Amino acid sequence: MRTRRARRIVLNAVALLVFAVMVFPVYWMVSTAFKPGSDIFANTPVWFPYHPTLGNFGDAVHRPHFWADVKNSLIIVSVVVAMSLVLAFLAALALAKFRFYGRRAFIVLIIAVQMIPLNALIIPIYLVLSKAHQVDKLSGVIVTYLTFVLPFTIWTLRGFLLGVPRDLEEASQVDGTTRFGAFLRILLPLIGPGLVATSIFAFIQAWNEYIMAYVLLHDPSKQTLTVWLASFTGDRGTAWGPLMAGATLTALPVVIFFVAVQRKIAFGLTAGAVRG
Amino acid sequence: MSSRFSAAAAAVSEPALPSRRPRRPFASRLGSRAAPYLLILPACAVIGAVLGYPLYFMGRLSLQHYGLFQLIKHKGEWIGTKNYSQILHDGLFWHVVARTLAFTATAVSLTMVLGTLFALLLAQLGPKMRVLLTAGLIFVWAMPVVVAVAVWSWMVDFEFGVANWLLTYLHIGNFNHHDWFANTWSGWAIITSLVVWGAIPFVALMVYAGLTQVPQELVEAATTDGATSWRVFRDVTVPLLKPIFVILISLSIIWDFQVFNQIWILLNGQPPPQYFTMSIYAFTTSFQQSQYGLGSAIALVMVAILLVVSFVYIRQMVKIGDAE
Amino acid sequence: MKLRIIAAVALAAALATAASTATGGTKRSTAQQVVVWVMTDAQNGWPGAIAAANSQFQQQHPGVDINIQYQSWDTVLQKFDAALAASDPPDVIELGNTQTAKYMAAGAFSSLNAKNFPNSSTWLSGLKSSCTYRGKLYCVPYYAGARAVIYRKDMYRQAGIKGLPKTYAQFLANGKKLMKKFGKNRNFSAFYEPGQNWYVPTTFVEDYGGHIAVQAKNGKWKGTLDSPQAIHALTVFKSMVQKLSRASKTQDEAHPYPSIPFAKGRMASFIGNGWEWPYVFNPKGGAAPKSFEKKMGAYPMPSHIKGRYMPTFLGGSDIGIPISAHNKALGADWIKAFTGTQSETIIAKAGNIANTTKLANVNAHNPALAPFARAAKYSWFVPTSPNWVNVENSHLLKQMLTAILTNRKSVQAATKSASKQITQILNASP
Repeated sequence: MRTRRARRIVLNAVALLVFAVMVFPVYWMVSTAFKPGSDIFANTPVWFPYHPTLGNFGDAVHRPHFWADVKNSLIIVSVVVAMSLVLAFLAALALAKFRFYGRRAFIVLIIAVQMIPLNALIIPIYLVLSKAHQVDKLSGVIVTYLTFVLPFTIWTLRGFLLGVPRDLEEASQVDGTTRFGAFLRILLPLIGPGLVATSIFAFIQAWNEYIMAYVLLHDPSKQTLTVWLASFTGDRGTAWGPLMAGATLTALPVVIFFVAVQRKIAFGLTAGAVRG
Repeated sequence: MSSRFSAAAAAVSEPALPSRRPRRPFASRLGSRAAPYLLILPACAVIGAVLGYPLYFMGRLSLQHYGLFQLIKHKGEWIGTKNYSQILHDGLFWHVVARTLAFTATAVSLTMVLGTLFALLLAQLGPKMRVLLTAGLIFVWAMPVVVAVAVWSWMVDFEFGVANWLLTYLHIGNFNHHDWFANTWSGWAIITSLVVWGAIPFVALMVYAGLTQVPQELVEAATTDGATSWRVFRDVTVPLLKPIFVILISLSIIWDFQVFNQIWILLNGQPPPQYFTMSIYAFTTSFQQSQYGLGSAIALVMVAILLVVSFVYIRQMVKIGDAE
Repeated sequence: MKLRIIAAVALAAALATAASTATGGTKRSTAQQVVVWVMTDAQNGWPGAIAAANSQFQQQHPGVDINIQYQSWDTVLQKFDAALAASDPPDVIELGNTQTAKYMAAGAFSSLNAKNFPNSSTWLSGLKSSCTYRGKLYCVPYYAGARAVIYRKDMYRQAGIKGLPKTYAQFLANGKKLMKKFGKNRNFSAFYEPGQNWYVPTTFVEDYGGHIAVQAKNGKWKGTLDSPQAIHALTVFKSMVQKLSRASKTQDEAHPYPSIPFAKGRMASFIGNGWEWPYVFNPKGGAAPKSFEKKMGAYPMPSHIKGRYMPTFLGGSDIGIPISAHNKALGADWIKAFTGTQSETIIAKAGNIANTTKLANVNAHNPALAPFARAAKYSWFVPTSPNWVNVENSHLLKQMLTAILTNRKSVQAATKSASKQITQILNASP
């Protein structure tokens, strides 16, 4: 009994330490965002914002094109998530349920695509998109992002699809034309968690991306939030307070998305992970 | 709980051992032989449209002398494999390769080891602490890379960095006005810590998910046979988690080999050669030296090296993918 | 079943179409728009000049949409290169005066007739030559910048310094007094010189008669930082930095920006441009209130030769029209508006040097900015080779300085390898 309690205490202490170390940068970002300039540049760090101010947030939000860039990022990310779910689901279905010639090649393709350094392809991709009149357009960026989001999402959804028990599949083999419809109606809810997990991944990848966005989008009113954030480290040095406020705002949608779907995550990761 | 969830729960409570049961060909049920090709068509179309021509173009560029002059005229000069021989004979190139490999090996090992340890910790905790730690990990995972680099940059700032102050306060040394990037080793320590810090949550959560799948009967059987926790981990848990480890290691190698943003932004877009990885080297050759042909060649060599390095793991992944 | 798949594909396509229309894509209808790329310096420092230019242009072309896209120095050339590759560049673009040579030599700009632009007969010769290639004009001077020492009058007084230094020797002596008075504070610098702020040591080199590189009669360049004069200058510089500066040896003049540590009292002086002056007490990013300005002063850096200043690097920007631009005539009109007397006066009042000698005395009565104009009396410029910007982009000068200041390499060894690299890069075929 004693050793169990001791063990529990030690484990909890370790967990708290791990938590503190991992989360500290996040905490530092948020607390700096609320500090006035004098506290940010104090000679001794001010650990907690004792004189919180919304000034940094005000500065960040009033920078040119902030709201336009928020809108752009949200549009890009929602479309990328939606489209990648649809396209990846279809492709994962093929991989999970069918044996077909070229299947192995397709698997190799989606693994190989992830190895290509996108930065090296900036100019060629720019050329292709320019010919299709997709430069300085959100749709050009969306299509580019899809390319590097699809491989992982296809692979993960494949894993989830494999986890669906066969008797349920067969239960959906109702005769006639309702076959596929019934199949979908039973299947989709089962892999719901998988769809959530892959949508989170797609969300983060699309939200994070920086270099392609700033090359492909010229008009400041069309840029994404991550590029907007980079504008804080301007040629006049870095405005740390507003930058941390801007960073907090940029991280916020992802966190909100997580919180909204967090119950499904745990279940989703559990359900699909082992199916490799 | 709704019946859908219990059905799914039943589905995943099946043993996680690789299934060797033959599957009845579902294809015949759905009727169409063309079905799989139609299903993968949209994904292939997107990937092909965005990457197809650019990859071909990059291959062509790598065989040409293509500077700013040629860029404006849209016409390069054919020089065959001269770019490649220039790269392979360049001392700097080999240093960059070695550095990239060393960094990747270090980052991947640290990420996998720490991630697995955190996952094991999660498995041992009570529910409240587990939720707290999971929430913390998710906050870290959710931070965009640009944001994370900005914060770390601020933490190690020369004039006002809190890390400097803290280390001095804890008497670990005098870090006042410490220039983290003056010394290459300490600079790489910061970069590696940043990359590993950002990568741990994903690994930890995935491995934890896998751990919850390990059937308790097997663990109990092994323990009653007298095995220590380490033996249980090594002989029971690891084999069951092998598919997860294979994926995670493969992805980590692929991602860490291509790390760019963290180094670029931490060093204000002007990293000195000691901080070059292959992706940075390719980028600066193309854009700062305006040698687009040479830069393309470097990028292609980089892909080749990555393929070689990750070959073993990729083959495993393809085998797993094919086996079902 | 096939139908369902096709339906799914159609759904995906519909989403894509929705996305492209949701962007409210500004169609590049070529006759209606002029696209201008200028740096964020204008947005932050002299927005009035942009506004004046826009209104003048709008009067001339009432139906045309002015699309100003502010760029940052770090990323503009990458975007410009990509745009050039796709023949889709802006109609007007600002480049630094050290970058124009490369782009002119590569044929990126349209040639211009100086007579069409305002004040062209009185353009600053330094800027004009950065726009001239093989006798033809390819861009229009925009503004120049000179550097001077910005200092804390109250700290100088407290350290017992009377008057301003007239020679470098006096400057050094003053610095030692400051270190004696305030140096116990480990964060204090008498003169804050970040290791990679390469404009200052190269100024020392020029002051002692050296150059970064010289061009022989046959056109070949040779890096000369390893000449005796240059080595002597850099040795003097290194000794000064070790005595007077506690700034980072691996950062440059923008990371961190000196204004904030200056406002926090961590230094008595630093070398900066005129437009950096208001940044010290800029409430947006700075850390000092407006009253701080009373404590600030400026003076040109004195030379080791009595009666002169150390030659300042004459930085600046030019504006040009890319050769494949869609609306060259509109671009030219906008440039005429922006580089005319009205806008240039606003630009000069923001702390810069206007592109014309006619406006040389705009700041003569402004005690804050007058020293910067005076400092421009002695100036130097980088080697006028089309490959010069590749030297800048490789950051080899910055790395050479860090190696010297951190004692990783001796001055001789560092300058020798840097000169070799400079020679190689400058002579490379384009």
